[in-house]
Amino acid sequence: MEINKLLSENEFVYLDGAMGTMLQKSGLETGEMPEILNITHPEIIADIHRQYLSAGSMIVYTNTFGANRLKAEGSGYTPAELISAGVDIARRVCGSEGYAALDIGPLGQLLEPTGSLSFEEAYDIFKEMVIAGADADLIVIETMTDLYEAKAALLAAKENSDLPVIVTMTFEENGRTFTGCSVPAMVLTLEGLGADAVGVNCSLGPKELAPIIEEICKYSHVPVAVKPNAGLPDPVTGLYNVGAEEFGELCSGFADMGVKIFGGCCGTSPEYIAAVISRNKSKKYSPQNVKELSAVCSYADTVIIDQPRVIGERINPTGKKRFKEALRNNDMDYILGQALEQSGAGADILDVNVGLPDIDEKAMMIRTVKALQGVVDLPLQIDSTIPEVIEGALRVYNGKPIVNSVNGEEKSLQNILPVVKKYGAMVIGLTLDEGGIPKKAEDRFAIAKRIMDRAIEIGIPKRDIIIDCLTLTASAEQAGVMETVKALHRVKIELGLKTALGVSNISFGLPNRELINCNFLQMCLAAGLDLPIINPNVPAMLGAVRAYKVLANIDESSVEYIDAYGNSAPAPQNLLSAPTEEASPEGLILAVQRGLKGECGTLTERLLEKFSPMDIVDNMLIPALDKAGADFESGKSFLPQLILSANGAQAAFEVIKSKIGKQDGVSKGKVILATVKGDIHDIGKNIVKVLLENYGFDVIDLGRDVDYQRVADAAMDKEIKLVGLSALMTTTLKSMEETIKLVRSVRPDCKIVVGGAVLTPEYAERIGADYYARDAKATVDAAREVYSAVN
Amino acid sequence: MINIERIDRSEALRYLAFKGQEIPPETDAYMDECESRILKIITPKFLFKYFPVVRCEDTLSLDGTRLVLEGKDIRSHLEGCTGAVLMAATVGSGTDMLLRQLMIEDMAKAVIADAFMSACIEQVCNDGENIIKNDLAGKYFTWRFSPGYGDFPLDVQKKLLDVLDAPKRIGLCVMGSGLLTPVKSVTAVIGISDAPLPRRVRDCAGCDLRNTCIYRKKGIHCGN
Repeated sequence: MEINKLLSENEFVYLDGAMGTMLQKSGLETGEMPEILNITHPEIIADIHRQYLSAGSMIVYTNTFGANRLKAEGSGYTPAELISAGVDIARRVCGSEGYAALDIGPLGQLLEPTGSLSFEEAYDIFKEMVIAGADADLIVIETMTDLYEAKAALLAAKENSDLPVIVTMTFEENGRTFTGCSVPAMVLTLEGLGADAVGVNCSLGPKELAPIIEEICKYSHVPVAVKPNAGLPDPVTGLYNVGAEEFGELCSGFADMGVKIFGGCCGTSPEYIAAVISRNKSKKYSPQNVKELSAVCSYADTVIIDQPRVIGERINPTGKKRFKEALRNNDMDYILGQALEQSGAGADILDVNVGLPDIDEKAMMIRTVKALQGVVDLPLQIDSTIPEVIEGALRVYNGKPIVNSVNGEEKSLQNILPVVKKYGAMVIGLTLDEGGIPKKAEDRFAIAKRIMDRAIEIGIPKRDIIIDCLTLTASAEQAGVMETVKALHRVKIELGLKTALGVSNISFGLPNRELINCNFLQMCLAAGLDLPIINPNVPAMLGAVRAYKVLANIDESSVEYIDAYGNSAPAPQNLLSAPTEEASPEGLILAVQRGLKGECGTLTERLLEKFSPMDIVDNMLIPALDKAGADFESGKSFLPQLILSANGAQAAFEVIKSKIGKQDGVSKGKVILATVKGDIHDIGKNIVKVLLENYGFDVIDLGRDVDYQRVADAAMDKEIKLVGLSALMTTTLKSMEETIKLVRSVRPDCKIVVGGAVLTPEYAERIGADYYARDAKATVDAAREVYSAVN
Repeated sequence: MINIERIDRSEALRYLAFKGQEIPPETDAYMDECESRILKIITPKFLFKYFPVVRCEDTLSLDGTRLVLEGKDIRSHLEGCTGAVLMAATVGSGTDMLLRQLMIEDMAKAVIADAFMSACIEQVCNDGENIIKNDLAGKYFTWRFSPGYGDFPLDVQKKLLDVLDAPKRIGLCVMGSGLLTPVKSVTAVIGISDAPLPRRVRDCAGCDLRNTCIYRKKGIHCGN
């Protein structure tokens, strides 16, 4: 039988059991690379495959779990050698009696953002494995704990081979993987990317896995695979506590949930597989019952669109000067701040638009998506009309996002829909086409229908299609407002699709916009709007959604509503804006020293009426920071207080910047900061950044794990007189030295300051730094010295 | 297996180089907030395994593994020991995420949270050590000695984690540069003996990190 047929037939499929357990029985030392046996002792591996086939396994996993470039380094063999030997053994043993599955396990290093391995590097490593294993009958990606890594592997498999792919991940008892991936997020993401089966392996015993398997079956539209451990290991002996018979019985229970593919992981042996097969004899495979759910997810959070969900619209430069400036300056912290603010306010999904005519939108989109998923768990909505930008984002997104948007134009349908299909995203279709936005509801409905038909034709499931009937401004096209509402209602009822709508445009050009916005939002919600795209930071807008959910009997017993408004206890940060200082220079200095952010902002605003910006900076903010710095140095205060003062000054600086604009130059000079290659612990560098900025320096923050060349490239800017480097580990001091050498070679006149836990003044000198900074304050001193010498 | 309900505030303050200054109410509120946010997201995990020690001329290895423990300091640490326990502990990758969020939200919170997270992983290690001591009741133990202490090289991390199967069992990995990920994680070797061990003073004079120690720079002590 063809392997594809086997996976799609209405029959159970049996995988093998543990390889590692069997190898340990045959004397493999702990910590030794088992894949080397493919070359040194192929007979041992062949014998294990043979035992599983005789027990009834239809598919055996090749002994290639860890045969990747990172793990094979120093083994004396290349991944290609280990893999082709492994596949060869399995293929030979299987003959026509079974199938050899190229086994791909995790890389053993964590991906960004927790680790330093990039998604693209991970993809390359997996690609090498997939190509080396081309002779296998199928591919299994297993024991994954990071959805991002599983995605890299699955993409590598899909793009470099035609073989079917089974992906299984490893969960903890709390229903999450080590990196926080949830069951629905796994299923939604991997089936969207084209996995032929998904499931769970390793982790726990069959008993503990039952609720996890049940949840997988609830969400998965593709066959479900289960490969549990033989129970739980004894912490001392390492022996597993579930015997073959019990294992067989428990696993067979999963057949009733809809599981199709069975096997065993750690601690299992051929007996275990035989036991499952014999227990399943009396049963017939019947696929799981899946509810048709429209849902998106990050790696962690899943948002099911079965009620109105708020899409935050603030990550968008349109009409926002500060946001545009952030995009041009690569100021990622500002963008991330916008995300955290909306997430804190109660958004369910975040729209991400980084389009500006004069920037590389694709590169910026990829950077932004990567950075965003490092700090927020909310699913993202990729907002662009350029197919390359959308694909770039979909590729690196760790979850199932929404694409915003496709429209009824032929070119758009042709270019966008295939990308949406390939990456398994949801998509918003705008009801406009070559003829523009139709005036009448029935014409918009017709476009919606056309978009739906085309999407379904290309294989995008109906549940993943969302229609936006487009808001026109009430001031200009008053008669059009109800057309939007009517079209929305028809799309929802007659087509059965989910609906989205950007709400705020409605009030453009009218006074008291919030009033119009809220009322329009209510009308649309009542007409069936699922995904309002709004500013969640405006309490009335989010409030309108919450109120609707109470009134429409969605928020049962008003739980969410009471949770949001029932408790009026002040948030802790209110402490920092409570007392009122008088608007005097002394008042501001005191407020900065105490780190009272809100106070610093309002005082600065009032002081700007009487004093010049430079006056405030030089005679109030800097002296206040100096005092805080001196208190820190003398041990009168400790680090958190120093930073609180910096926060206070920052709030004051923000006010000054917004009043006078950047070009008027309160800048004391530009400083590059980077945590060196190989190091990801960047808190020290970020403390320095906060302090430097609050002394009026412009910081070019290159981030962490920064290549030597990137630092040197950034230092080519002649305005830069100082580069700051940090390293935490003895092993990364070497990187620091190399970076210094390279910067020196291109900018001999540029000064370098270094800091970090393991550095000493002597070592700093030896590697060629000009300054050694024992703490953040010392870096500021170095910067002031360098720039006072130039000015 | 290990449950952390509170984080030792005095330990966290020590990481912040706190020397008894007055703590303003805002800082105090920050500490409360950081502690509760950390406690919500940690997933403490701990793993250990016992091995007989094999001494062969000047190499020291663990029986049944390919792990060689290099350096004079680990040798002297395990002097008189017949066995050793390898242990690995982590509070999980949630703390990495929280720290990234806080660095955007408010650097002061990030600094405080970082210290609380360090105190937290220390507590996980202490609890873990107690589990080991219960498990091997009647034996005598050395203190925890980690890669990077003295001349015990950091590049042993990868093998040590492999021997414990730590990436798979507790999600603990190491970067090429020797940095553990998640960041708030620890690996260590504890020497085991049937007879009482001479009490070794853990002081700065005997520590190879004495010239670069961040605590000494700040005029405080690492606590080991």
